Amino acid sequence: MSGSNVRTRSREKLRAFPELFAQCSAEATVYGKCVAATTTGRQELKKDMCAKEFEALKTCFTNAAKKRVK
Amino acid sequence: MFYNERIRSSSMFSKERIRSSSMFSEERIRSSSMFYNERMRSSSMFYNERIGSSSMFYNERIGSSSMFSDERIRSSSMFYNERIGSSSMFSDERIGSSSMFSDERIRSSSMFSDEPVQRSQDGGRPHGGETAMISRRLLRLLPAACPAPSPGSGSRRTSGSSRGSMNVFDREMKRRQRRWAGSLQDTHLFDYLRDEVGGRVADRVYDVARTFPLALDLGGGKSHIAEHLSKEVVERLFLTDVSEKTLRRRTDIPTHCVLADEEFLPFPENTFDLVVSSLSLHWINDLPAALRQIHQVLKPDGVFIGAMVGGETLYELRCSLQLAETEREGGFSPHVSPYTAVTDLGNLLGQAGFNMLTVDIDDVQVHYPGLTEVMTDLQGMGESNCAWNRKSLLHRDSMLAAAAIYKEMYGNEDGSVPATFDILYMIGWKPHESQAKPAKRGSATSSFRNLSEIKPPSP
Repeated sequence: MSGSNVRTRSREKLRAFPELFAQCSAEATVYGKCVAATTTGRQELKKDMCAKEFEALKTCFTNAAKKRVK
Repeated sequence: MFYNERIRSSSMFSKERIRSSSMFSEERIRSSSMFYNERMRSSSMFYNERIGSSSMFYNERIGSSSMFSDERIRSSSMFYNERIGSSSMFSDERIGSSSMFSDERIRSSSMFSDEPVQRSQDGGRPHGGETAMISRRLLRLLPAACPAPSPGSGSRRTSGSSRGSMNVFDREMKRRQRRWAGSLQDTHLFDYLRDEVGGRVADRVYDVARTFPLALDLGGGKSHIAEHLSKEVVERLFLTDVSEKTLRRRTDIPTHCVLADEEFLPFPENTFDLVVSSLSLHWINDLPAALRQIHQVLKPDGVFIGAMVGGETLYELRCSLQLAETEREGGFSPHVSPYTAVTDLGNLLGQAGFNMLTVDIDDVQVHYPGLTEVMTDLQGMGESNCAWNRKSLLHRDSMLAAAAIYKEMYGNEDGSVPATFDILYMIGWKPHESQAKPAKRGSATSSFRNLSEIKPPSP
């Protein structure tokens, strides 16, 4: 295999995913609860229904990734 | 890596839905000899934790069980007939096998000797009205010393070229996925499910008190069934797979490895005493036809014992991805397909001509650290999605969302997430005069009403 290419880089990223994801378990729970709530009631899941919660999760995830690089 | 190995025993007692009474209420199941026994076993699955490389994300197959319904119109005579003429919509999928039967007679010692036999054959020939050469088929009969390297140059026209209703999966893609998975350095780490199910299929082979002179393992890969079998039960074995990388002999049974597509069996009629298959039938485009071919290569009174995933396999993954994509992107694409339902399986086997059917379902739950591990392992098993209408990427936002939803909705208290595999086992016999038949209608001498008064038969 030759050096770094898009495939190896994306694999690297995916390998880091569980670790980064674990650092944001609080945000993930909030988001997960938000989505799961739509599956029980009469309310139907729509796009961006939990956008705020997801934004928090993503911010946390991105920050964790940045920290890891440094 | 980050996690420990998990060994869990999963309880099998959740599935109450398969009850014989409910089965018989289904009109579709006509075969009266069929009975369902629900085997409940506890299984301990070893989950070998491993975070492998993965850039392809995992999709599961889509398919619809409705594809089985219009299958009935096809007559089995099409296997023999070269001219297909009228029903040309099916024709180009059939050509491969028909010519195999005529030319490739496995008859003499040439195949059963241990000498390397290699044949390539051009099976294409014109048929009814269409002038084009339809199918080139390259069959390699590998010598007994597996694995033998074989270039993937089989320029067989795959079923993918015509996108009919019966063409859900990209078989060429599946072959590439299996080859990729087989060439991984630590490919054995992903074998836990196949080994487990292979052992259970082997159990069912042992249940038949018989010695099988010649057996066929369809899609057997690394001998996941055969390694649990002994020479006393199976005297000679043909092992087939679509990918040469996964063909591996791990048993002391004399084995011939054949690179063959499950959809086009390169064997003559009435060849095998036993056909087994484990976890490969769920990728077949045309399951009814494949079962008919299995029926065909069996000798009369031969038995087919198979296992495939079905039912509600991977429903956690399916739901998480659907919810995540709905919430993030406003719509979802199929990542995990609907599988064959256990209620359809008896009908399918009956349609293929099998007799004395047994169908049962096992519920295997594997616990993973998270969503990415589920997908990585499925990929390592060569079980990535190969449906034609799969989406070519999973958005990173959707993936993050799906991981959160999976964990929240299905996660265990210790942070792991379960993945369910519903394994459907099927046993069917090719009819033979010696087999028990239902008594003639009206031949009963006493009524069920008087059941309590009937004396037990004297021993």
